[in-house]
Amino acid sequence: MLSTGRVLLRQSATIPRLFLRAQSTNSLNKLELPFKYSNSGPSQVKYTKDHEWVSLHEDGTAFLGITKYAADALGDATYVELPETGREVEVEESVGSVESVKSASEVYMPLAGTVKEVNTALEESPQLINEDPLGKGWMVQFEYELEKSKAAIDGLYTLEQYEKFLKE
Amino acid sequence: MTAVAKTCLNAYGVAGTVLKRSPLLPNICYPQLKRRVSSKTPFDINDSDDKYKELNDYYRDLFTNDNVNTTLGATSKINIKTEIDLLNDELANLTDTAVPPHKLPLRSEDLQRVVETPGRFVIKSRSNDPYFNLALEHYIFKNTPLFEQSIFSSQRLLFYVNNKCAVIGKNQTIWQELYLNELNKRGYEVLRRLSGGGAVIHDLGNVNYSFLTSREEFRTTFFNQLIVQWLNKQGHIQDFELNGRGDILYKKMKCGGSAFKIARGKSYHHGTMLVNSDIDSFHGLLKPSGQKGVRWVSPSVDSVRAGVTNIPLGSTEQFIDICTDGFQKYFKSADSIPVYYCNDTVSTNSEIEKTRALLRSDKWKYCSGPKFKVELDSSHDVIEVEKGIVVSSTIPNIKGMDFQRLIDTGSNEAQLQCLKPLM
Repeated sequence: MLSTGRVLLRQSATIPRLFLRAQSTNSLNKLELPFKYSNSGPSQVKYTKDHEWVSLHEDGTAFLGITKYAADALGDATYVELPETGREVEVEESVGSVESVKSASEVYMPLAGTVKEVNTALEESPQLINEDPLGKGWMVQFEYELEKSKAAIDGLYTLEQYEKFLKE
Repeated sequence: MTAVAKTCLNAYGVAGTVLKRSPLLPNICYPQLKRRVSSKTPFDINDSDDKYKELNDYYRDLFTNDNVNTTLGATSKINIKTEIDLLNDELANLTDTAVPPHKLPLRSEDLQRVVETPGRFVIKSRSNDPYFNLALEHYIFKNTPLFEQSIFSSQRLLFYVNNKCAVIGKNQTIWQELYLNELNKRGYEVLRRLSGGGAVIHDLGNVNYSFLTSREEFRTTFFNQLIVQWLNKQGHIQDFELNGRGDILYKKMKCGGSAFKIARGKSYHHGTMLVNSDIDSFHGLLKPSGQKGVRWVSPSVDSVRAGVTNIPLGSTEQFIDICTDGFQKYFKSADSIPVYYCNDTVSTNSEIEKTRALLRSDKWKYCSGPKFKVELDSSHDVIEVEKGIVVSSTIPNIKGMDFQRLIDTGSNEAQLQCLKPLM
């Protein structure tokens, strides 16, 4: 099944976007760190119009990655650029990029925060971005301040809103 | 003489040629050319005013044929003109009409206005500075407006021709891709661009095209497919085609490369097209994938090596004209698609200069690629590098050193001779 998926990805340039959109499952993988970081899972999972997702945990920790839709549209990732740990990032600032066949696609922070960890597994295995973008393919773990970020969080899409945005 | 006849038709064609030979000239040429089209008198014509007497006399003399003495005077004045003035005079004499105002480079405020206003356009850069051109491209990309709820109608097409340079992709290792010493020796600039993809060599015979559209409409093969159609229409039916990687082939040989960038709902596809490049002289500048005596362990993005060829067009201008025409017809709407011109002195602003400085910086060029490990066969040494700095090595006392400086000094120090294969 996986190999079939990857063949499809390589040809994504010729596949109508609507098809990709209908195929996308953009919900968080419940078996991986971005979900399991808290015992009860994240308090919220939000999405951006630039196709990033962020899982927000109650202790002020968050995970960032790109959506299934974005990963499928990009095709096979060949390199994932990640930020330095400890870096303070402004809202909307670029924190890395995903390179697929000759395309560098920027990834932005939907909230302000401090980078705590990056997913070093992506250095060896950038294809995790394609295989499990909302789980094993998470990119950045960061700390955010709930009070300061409230407005920014409210401005992000819920899963339903994001899926609706994709269909528009 | 045919060259002169050709230049009569197009003043800027000449300016373009001059510009290629000496990057210093056009900056001084443009204001002069611009002045020619200005209808304003640069001074108040008033004979009683001594301040302008000399100038007025000079102009009167210039346009009065029957006064031999003053003609001499005028000649002496021409003699003290610089070579640049003479060139401009020559240009002015060759052309019956002055440079049309719409072909003058956009001033910084006009550039900002056209970029920020929704709509399609073509921009041709008259600069051959690769740093400026990449910075201009980034400025246009960043500032093109995007409205989520409406269909994207601000496709832009930019053309530029760079002086000799080697350009690597954003996520590449510069030492793995380029023979830096050789490039330096032969007078090439070395750049890391902001988009993905592999290493490529530019010279004045190579055109860079950059097609900007929305992320939504982004397809890697879209614009190259159009170029293939446009070129095949020029009488080389079927000679141009796309390969599986979306590269344009001429008679089965690669004639250019592509790279892409996606950010904030927008995308661009920029590509190179070899028109009359000195391809033979590119030899020995790009490193092959399997380098002798060295093993790179790195997530760095690969360059796909391929034999390349020029396409059979007379000039880079001709390629630009074919694509401009094709773009204007393909995206035809009620309003015609304008063509603007830029150069690196008039059409710049602080944002462009900031990117230009970043692209010029060693920090961006040498310290921003992926981390890597390199193994040297001769001595079995291993060096690990992150952000341009040696973080660990079997060679004593080099930890913490700047990798570029290490290679530079390595050539002189006996104990670092093992680094030779890295140069």
